[in-house]
Amino acid sequence: MRLESVGKRYGLRQPWIVRDVSLDVPPGRLIRLEGRNGSGKSTLLRVAAGVSLPSAGRVTGRPHTGYVPERFPGGLPFSARDYVLHMARVHGLRGAAAARGADEWLERLGAAGYAGQPLRNLSKGMCQKVAIVQALLSRPGLLVLDEAWTGLDQAARGTLDAAVTERAADGGAVLFVDHDQARLAGRISERWRFDGEGRVTAVPGGASGQPAAADRTVVIELAGLEPESAARLAAMAGVLSCDGSVVRVTAGLSDDVLRQVLSWDGVHVTAVRTEKAPGR
Amino acid sequence: MIALLRYQTAILLRSHRWIFPVVAYGLLISVGAASSTPLAEGLSWSAAMLVPVVAFLTRSMLIAEPDAARACVAAAAGPVPAQLAALVTALGAGVVLGLAGACFTVLTGEPVVTQPGSGAFSKIDATFAHPQVLTAGLATALVCLLVGSAAGTLCNPPLLRHPGAAMLATLAAIILALAANVSPASAALRHAGASPQTTSWPGGVPLLAAACLLAVIWGASLYAGARRDTRAPSAT
Repeated sequence: MRLESVGKRYGLRQPWIVRDVSLDVPPGRLIRLEGRNGSGKSTLLRVAAGVSLPSAGRVTGRPHTGYVPERFPGGLPFSARDYVLHMARVHGLRGAAAARGADEWLERLGAAGYAGQPLRNLSKGMCQKVAIVQALLSRPGLLVLDEAWTGLDQAARGTLDAAVTERAADGGAVLFVDHDQARLAGRISERWRFDGEGRVTAVPGGASGQPAAADRTVVIELAGLEPESAARLAAMAGVLSCDGSVVRVTAGLSDDVLRQVLSWDGVHVTAVRTEKAPGR
Repeated sequence: MIALLRYQTAILLRSHRWIFPVVAYGLLISVGAASSTPLAEGLSWSAAMLVPVVAFLTRSMLIAEPDAARACVAAAAGPVPAQLAALVTALGAGVVLGLAGACFTVLTGEPVVTQPGSGAFSKIDATFAHPQVLTAGLATALVCLLVGSAAGTLCNPPLLRHPGAAMLATLAAIILALAANVSPASAALRHAGASPQTTSWPGGVPLLAAACLLAVIWGASLYAGARRDTRAPSAT
């Protein structure tokens, strides 16, 4: 998919929210949109998802798209499952495949117990899960997530992280906005920076947006690490070595390791430094 | 498109948005049939009453879906088909009501010619013995359906977003559609009323005018829905 000189404004006399955005979205890309509030991230997401047409330029080659809005109000007269089934058919799934996909995804996100409830009785988080299920179940070639993690419980956030990674690994492109800077850190292939005046620039991904992050190693020194915890760390993505008190991680994947370590009682991070990766 | 129509029809039926138009139409045509009127006149009346009913059906379909839900549908199927499905569903519901109204009128109105026997069957027999009255009535109903849909589409989101103004404008458009000389619905009804006993085909002009009007207004609504968003996003 490609955005060609895309611009968007809400009316002829209104200011441009974004303008002259020319960016590629190749299959398998996981792209994060960053910028302050009001800089046009949601607007560009809506244009990229095909929800609204651009005021200038065009979007070409958009694959089948799933979109998760920022807030999903339960104003429709359906149960969660019926809504998901309707959306599965709108996404082009048929009969049994639609029903199977709906049940499987509702279960995976922990919403199966609420499948028969009317949407208007569901909590904000549960509505958000329903919105995520409708976007994911057709395995779209483009997945667009506008703060889809907001309001989800811890387990569902993990599931969504995994589902998004899975989609990208399957060759789907993913565009997302999230207020958590660490969201999917290390798996992001590109960041689009919004400067607040309508311009958008793409920078390569990586935990801190630094290029060539894989050239460097983050060394984390720990105190109080149990052997079984050390074994779990050693199995995590990007961990090069773990000898009990010193963990070496490829830069860009260190955030996940640090988060894991900090979630354990009695384990302390005594030092974090970067060094050049061995053999480079 | 089938999936979209199914989705919109389910919204219409499950949200109970159909109740008000159906009850209102039932009452209106019952009033028209109260003092046994000639069939031609009854058909004109039930056609005319389709204008407000279809306008309000269209209005309720255009405001039924929350923005976020519409965005999900638009991403999956495109913003134009998403909007078109809502408009077609309202018009389709109007067609069903119009046919039901015509059946009711045939059964309750004064038959075209008095035949021996006064049961429902003899009325149906009489109607089909002189089909020009029924076809003229149905053609008038079709013009009124198209004009009603055009009025509802023109005066509601995304073409007119202000909630209070949309309601008032819809009412004004209905009155204009039925009363103003330039309105195709009014032209068709005047034609039907000119010769109540031998109502003839209202002519192609009102029908063509109504179809063109509807095409232009639907096109504008589809364009506005796709281009301008239902609402500017509340956050970034």
